Amino acid sequence: MSFTQVARSCGRFAAALNTVRIAKTVVQTQSRMMHRIAMPAIGSQLTQKQMFTIRNYSARNTLEEIEHRVLKVVSAYDKDSRCRWQTQSLRSYSAKPPLSLKLINERVLLVLKLYDKIDPSKLNVNSHFINDLGLDSLDHVEVIMAMEDEFGFEIPDSDAEKLLKPADIIKYVADKEDVYE
Amino acid sequence: MAQVPLAIVSHKRQVCSLYKRALRNLEAWYDRRDVYRYRAVQMRARFDENKNKDVAEGMRLLASGQKELFETKHFQPRNFANSPGGCAFEREVILPDWVLDYWHPLEKAQYPEYFAKREQRKKEYVAWWEKQYGKPDPSDLGHH
Repeated sequence: MSFTQVARSCGRFAAALNTVRIAKTVVQTQSRMMHRIAMPAIGSQLTQKQMFTIRNYSARNTLEEIEHRVLKVVSAYDKDSRCRWQTQSLRSYSAKPPLSLKLINERVLLVLKLYDKIDPSKLNVNSHFINDLGLDSLDHVEVIMAMEDEFGFEIPDSDAEKLLKPADIIKYVADKEDVYE
Repeated sequence: MAQVPLAIVSHKRQVCSLYKRALRNLEAWYDRRDVYRYRAVQMRARFDENKNKDVAEGMRLLASGQKELFETKHFQPRNFANSPGGCAFEREVILPDWVLDYWHPLEKAQYPEYFAKREQRKKEYVAWWEKQYGKPDPSDLGHH
């Protein structure tokens, strides 16, 4: 078989297929048309009033109501709200909650209040752990470890020995986290 | 925040450091908080019973404690994220402050308020330095 013969036979086959398809579409359109034609016949059986109630979705079809409804739909799909999900970034970077001096102060004092060897009534920002609150050096180590766990970074021993007051800890954490106000 | 030890570490500080490392080691071994607390209280009791020993005995106990810690060290201890060994160690590189002084003037012109304030602060710092340490010797100024 030469190439032209193949092409010709293919073309014939395609033409045969096309006629089948055309016949099929004609049948389909006819059935569809029949469906269309049938609809008014069913509708004509209903009274005019029932037709009206079927066609209207809202009973209060004043101009204001329609305007309100349309504006509501439009505002739901307006440009801004569409852009909001389009510009939503797919990556979520985790970051620490923003700290302020007041927040650091509260967190430090809360951790110290919950420590069972410290009397909360004596606790003050400027009270000395060892002289005023009566802790020993191992308790101080435990306090520093609690602060590490609270703020999520390590406090080396050389710095820890200087943090003898809650105020020192607050200042140290603020310096570490770059909080100045 | 000097990490380099600049002085001979006292015995008290060595004991505190050992206590802290021992607790962190227990924390690594016992991940349940209540179990860890039980072990931590026991560890504290062991430290407290040797509180009033003399210096020689204390040094011997310290050495044996360090040996015990070395032998019971966890194979994969928990670290803080930004500490050495943590998952985010050196992830964020914080540039030194002097880099800003080497910006091109056109780049600086984009932030006029900040750089005006920065120049002001530099002048204040120089004034503070001269008040604190005196005027620098002119022969020390300049390069060698």
